[in-house]
Amino acid sequence: MQFFANSDELHHVMNELWMRIGRDPDMLEKLLASKLIVQFQYREPEGRVTIDCSDGIEMRVSTGEQLLKPIVEMSMKADVAHEFWLGKVNVPFAIVSGKIVSRGPVQKALTLLPVIKPAFDIYPNVISQFKTVTA
Amino acid sequence: MNPFVFHVPTKIAFAEGAGSSTCEIVKELAGNKALIITDKPLLEGGYLTSVLEGFEDMPHVIFSDVPSDSDVDCVNTIAELARTEECDCIVAIGGGSVMDTAKVVNICLTLGGEILEYQGLNNIAEQLLPLVAVPTTAGTGSEVSMVAMVKDHTEGKKLLFGSRYLAPSVAILDPLLTVSLPPKLTAATGLDALTHAIESYVAVISNSVFTDSLCTDSARMVFENLRTATKNGADIEARSQMLVASTMAGVAFTNSGVGVVHALAHSMGAKFGTHHGIANSIFLPHGILFNMDIAAERYARLARMVGVSKSTKDLTATKDLLDAIEQLCIDCGLPRRLRDAGVPELNNSDIEELVVLAVSDPAIMFNPKDCSEKDIQELYERAY
Ligand SMILES: NC(=O)c1ccc[n+]([C@@H]2O[C@H](COP(=O)([O-])OP(=O)(O)OC[C@H]3O[C@@H](n4cnc5c(N)ncnc54)[C@H](O)[C@@H]3O)[C@@H](O)[C@H]2O)c1
Ligand SMILES: [Fe+2]
Repeated sequence: MQFFANSDELHHVMNELWMRIGRDPDMLEKLLASKLIVQFQYREPEGRVTIDCSDGIEMRVSTGEQLLKPIVEMSMKADVAHEFWLGKVNVPFAIVSGKIVSRGPVQKALTLLPVIKPAFDIYPNVISQFKTVTA
Repeated sequence: MNPFVFHVPTKIAFAEGAGSSTCEIVKELAGNKALIITDKPLLEGGYLTSVLEGFEDMPHVIFSDVPSDSDVDCVNTIAELARTEECDCIVAIGGGSVMDTAKVVNICLTLGGEILEYQGLNNIAEQLLPLVAVPTTAGTGSEVSMVAMVKDHTEGKKLLFGSRYLAPSVAILDPLLTVSLPPKLTAATGLDALTHAIESYVAVISNSVFTDSLCTDSARMVFENLRTATKNGADIEARSQMLVASTMAGVAFTNSGVGVVHALAHSMGAKFGTHHGIANSIFLPHGILFNMDIAAERYARLARMVGVSKSTKDLTATKDLLDAIEQLCIDCGLPRRLRDAGVPELNNSDIEELVVLAVSDPAIMFNPKDCSEKDIQELYERAY
């Protein structure tokens, strides 16, 4: 069974997670320095989360359809994203086995993997809060 | 057992003189008009006669202007030619530069649109036109790999394309076509193959017995044959072993990845145009030393399996592997430091730029040990 019941749940969790990432000065500084616009495209359920660091000053998080053209797109099942944030996804394996599809200069996004690792500790918290909210 | 996925989408045909049957194979793939991609030294040196003779009764067009460091402009020019000539299949005859170019041309030709739209991993989701790869170097494994890189000169970096649909339909391995490869390139490309085998064997996801056996056998074949292939290029048995070893290592790395050595080599190629095999040969021992504290058990097992160590102690066996690589490189006349390979003295801004390129290279993701920017910087300094 898929972890997220619907797109709203998925968007809600991812939005909260990225907001908290944005409150961590270390992660924020490095994300802004990348000046990337990364869009996560999820399926089962459908979802779009766009992280815009392009001006290097402010990180903007938005969910749902966007007019903004991302520099890098990462597509995967929402369950893969859930497992990723729990620190349970072996990213190289997920790429080799085709579970993660990336479009654009993927090199730039991959450099951010070590940067966002501290968020693995934040995610369970977001999930538990989210579960209480929806309970 | 750990999970794994293992793909070999390419049919592999090996024989002395196999190149002369290229056209027949293209016809089997239902090609009507072939786009043959190669480079000037190969065409003008007359090395491809046996392959091209076969195409006398089949419509074809030849593009032979692929530069060593092929780029997006070259890809677009070839794709345009192919469209005008209405080609429906591609034949790549050459080294990694030619084969990588042909793979990216195939994306353009089949899918149309802007090439930059297709860079990424697993981003191509449909069958491309038939592509037959005929390697003339024994090193890159591009004839079976699911990746291709070409330079974007405007941005000064290499673009990466990775998809199982990028693997050529057929790889034709003809050792006779590698006989003309000069000693230095024979040695350098051979070290590329050895680096694929060794890096794949210790890569973070190298957990399949399929890739393991390809790695150990191909590494052994390189140790046993590269000296002869370099010193006596006409030795067909040594050339055959090298060609097959390089394809085997190609199958291995395209399934389990490479590592920090390739990340460093790609950055040197992008910034200074250092030949991929030469750069790998210089960085390989440094990469092993760097990974040694966490991968000694794997290196040691490889050293024993390829016959360069009898030691039961992992650190000693890894040291034996390092010595064997060093001796092989010296015997084959390969430079051992970047400064001896024509790389100018590295100033701080060069190193900074190289570090950015290396840490963002996807190869690094597969390295068994995490590499910080400082680690990378130290590796450049040691290799210089
Ligand atoms: N896609 C992959 O899986 C993969 C893997 C490793 C390397 N590569 C790429 O491959 C490229 C390097 O390829 P390479 O090492 O094969 O060298 P190359 O294709 O650049 O060729 C080097 C030179 O050797 C000459 N040459 C090739 N075969 C010859 C022959 N039989 N006789 C005489 N001259 C010959 C060529 O004309 C050229 O001048 C790099 O761009 C690297 O990024 C790709
Ligand atoms: Fe290589």
